[in-house]
Amino acid sequence: MDLDCWIDKDVASQVLTEALRYGGDLGEIYVEDRSVLTLGLEDSKVDEAVRGTDRGAGIRVFYGGLSAYAHTDDLTASNLRAVAKDAASAARGRSQAQVLDFTGGRTDLDFPVKRSFDDMSDEEKARLLHRVDREARGFDPRVTQVQAQYSEQRRRVWIWNSEGRAVQDERHLVQLRIMVMAKKEDLVQMGLGAVGGQMGLELLDRVDVLAEAREAAGSAVRMLDARPAPAGELPVVMNHGWGGVLFHEACGHALEADHVNQGVSVFGGRLGELVASPLITLVDDATLPERRGSFRFDDDGTASERTVLIEKGVLREYLWDLAQARRSERYSTGNGRRQSFRFLSLPRMTNTFIEAGDTDPEDIVRSVKRGLYVKMLGGGQADTARGDFVFSVSEGYLIEDGRLTAPVRGATLVGNGPEVLKEIAMVGHDLELDKGLGMCGKGQRVPVSVGQPTLLIPRITIGGTEEGR
Amino acid sequence: MEYLKLAQRLIDRVADRDVEAEVIISRSRSTMIRVNAGEVLEMSAADAKGVGIRILRAGRMGYAYTTDFRPSSLELTVQEAVALANSADPDDFRALPQVKDRLAPEQDLELYDAQFPDLTTEDKVGFILGVERAALNHDPRVVATSQCSYHDSVSRLYLANSHGFSGCHEGTGVVAYLRAIAKDDDGQTAGLGLGCSVFFRDLDAEAIGREAGTKAVQLLGGAPVRTQAASVVLDPFAGVEFLTFVAQALTAESMQRGRSFLMGKLGEKIASQGVNLVDDGRLVRGLGSASFDGEGVPTSRTRLVVDGTLEHLLYDTYTARRDGTSSTGNAQRSSYRGLPYPAPTNLFLVPSSKPVEEVIAGVDKGLFVTNTMNTGGINPVNGDYSVGASGLWVQKGEIVGPVTGVTVAGNMADMLYGIRDVARDLRFIPIADSIGAPTFVVEGMTIGGR
Repeated sequence: MDLDCWIDKDVASQVLTEALRYGGDLGEIYVEDRSVLTLGLEDSKVDEAVRGTDRGAGIRVFYGGLSAYAHTDDLTASNLRAVAKDAASAARGRSQAQVLDFTGGRTDLDFPVKRSFDDMSDEEKARLLHRVDREARGFDPRVTQVQAQYSEQRRRVWIWNSEGRAVQDERHLVQLRIMVMAKKEDLVQMGLGAVGGQMGLELLDRVDVLAEAREAAGSAVRMLDARPAPAGELPVVMNHGWGGVLFHEACGHALEADHVNQGVSVFGGRLGELVASPLITLVDDATLPERRGSFRFDDDGTASERTVLIEKGVLREYLWDLAQARRSERYSTGNGRRQSFRFLSLPRMTNTFIEAGDTDPEDIVRSVKRGLYVKMLGGGQADTARGDFVFSVSEGYLIEDGRLTAPVRGATLVGNGPEVLKEIAMVGHDLELDKGLGMCGKGQRVPVSVGQPTLLIPRITIGGTEEGR
Repeated sequence: MEYLKLAQRLIDRVADRDVEAEVIISRSRSTMIRVNAGEVLEMSAADAKGVGIRILRAGRMGYAYTTDFRPSSLELTVQEAVALANSADPDDFRALPQVKDRLAPEQDLELYDAQFPDLTTEDKVGFILGVERAALNHDPRVVATSQCSYHDSVSRLYLANSHGFSGCHEGTGVVAYLRAIAKDDDGQTAGLGLGCSVFFRDLDAEAIGREAGTKAVQLLGGAPVRTQAASVVLDPFAGVEFLTFVAQALTAESMQRGRSFLMGKLGEKIASQGVNLVDDGRLVRGLGSASFDGEGVPTSRTRLVVDGTLEHLLYDTYTARRDGTSSTGNAQRSSYRGLPYPAPTNLFLVPSSKPVEEVIAGVDKGLFVTNTMNTGGINPVNGDYSVGASGLWVQKGEIVGPVTGVTVAGNMADMLYGIRDVARDLRFIPIADSIGAPTFVVEGMTIGGR
């Protein structure tokens, strides 16, 4: 079978033969073509207008659980054969696999784009940024700066391997990011908004971009009246949606098979054990339509799937890519992803979320006498070996007698992911995935979604500047 | 110099009285090797190239790039840049530099390791395996490593513009790092070791591995202290992280756009007397050095903070025109994919002559920070600073034991004033830019713990 690609199946077959010339268990070619457009506004001016194309190929040879890789941006057959030779030399002296006929790959998924990126001119897209700017500035006189960025990306990938796999995938990403700054005396606060997904311009028909601009402005302005966060241990209620990023960082990464195989995961060797509250079911699902982390085939050419990682508190599965799956002699869960053809794939999350429970989110807030309500999390980091995490709260409120009261700023959440998972006491029925801002870094950046329902964490250490509370 | 000729041809395609054009072409050859438990896990080699074209027409700027050097693709890329300029808004301060200064000869800056082409894959694999071994041999409690990797690159950058600038920069760079994982009955800790240089032979495998091992082992048995006000001592890693965000606030762009916690402070005191910050684009063997910047302007040495007073900012051509001054040669480009923006070249806190031990001996009570977590808690716009930290507790000038799981919080404006003591161990660490710091003490921080 042939693919609609820059190289045809005969070239692919020759290159794979070259890649396995000296030995190796599996050869693979990954071809990518990506075009992007970015328009950015600041100071009420569109002054960033960039369009570009990156195209290239990577050739990988697996041998005895290890892999060698070489990549190039020159797709001529003669150069690809030379690059294959580069990758091949590492496997010298190993047993040699044969190149089989290409038979394809199977998936029932289809993610069609409903409105092409060409449906609006660059000028119209630039005007959209101006409307966002005016809306955010009009929201409140204390708004001092607006950054708005529109970006679209069309990424096509083709994967052939010596076991006969031949698949292609096409991924469209669109995003609008808004950052609003507000100022009162010496205090500056920021509000962030973003909408996006794996789709075309239908995004703009579906979401109210101006409402998102007002929301970002509102967040910045509300935080101007915030008081410094208390320091110490308090119950925390996490808003649904983007709050899931905490579990992405503090638990999800430790479930990636490379960390497990290298012995640097807190969840290593614990399949079947109770690792979380029975209220918790954690899922990774790359098959959801329109989500940033979705795809039909992963970057190893494996069909995407829904993976239940933790089921009612019990650890069920890790996230596998092809390389780790081959090391452990099992199948991949379709979680092999790469930033581009310049990188080897790694086991990565896609759209990762905690399933809905059955509690009314208002009852969760009402149950707290004194605590912190996290409306929006900022950046965060966790280590996979222990599961310790540190997150900043970008929009937070005190909970007093079951009601949200004063906004607080400068709150940092410090804790341990696995411990928090065990302690979660209430799970709302309001599961929501984030609006489309997720980008996950693990040496390589890939788009992701995160999600969760409203949750109650009975106690968490809050690092603030308000001493002695 | 066939690439400079190609750049000139593309410029000639579009440049005229109303259109300024600039072309950047980058080529690089790089190697990455990752090892674990004495085995090469991954190895990757690559040639990469790309071309970017910037167009300015009546103050409107458009940019397009491609990795495809076929003539039809280059022609399309030029047209895309022209078309995009029409979608952007005009800004009178936008212009390409008219460079008249003579460039410094690059060989004087020692940015290219001529030995590089002779290095074999075996040399590099042997080196990084040596790094891992050094960590594991350092102490029996070091049980594993993670992310132990070697990266190198040889890169060439060609830049030309329609005002007649044309230049080529050639550089090498090598970075090796790892995390050592230490374990005892109480639990597990991690420590980072890193080495980087223009020259392969300057890297010391033993030192990198030992650093990771030492940092991991010394944290074993650590616990949070109680919440309190105290001093912190930032090691060069934590110090460089702090300076990375201070540097963002010191660019003319963040000042002009109201994104700096130091806005409006030019000419004023912003730090304690002992604080001197320098950006030096001509630092010999500096990983951020070059004879010209991302727009072709000669690089320079800029004294940003002198004895605590903010004397100068980091400028590119656009921000300099906007402030009615001249570029400091700080236009940076991340690759052929991006527009230039002002950023540090080699920026550092000027060291003293004091040994680190002497600096620690002067601390009454505080945390010697050797590991931080979550740069998301550092905000160069409003100066918020709150990171997770671990390190060693200092009491009456003596190190008394490990601390883990605490936060260190303050405001960067106060922190600059709180810098009390600076050591002599200046070290450059290329997190994003080439930034260097010696160990230094900051007073008046909040440590959040139990």
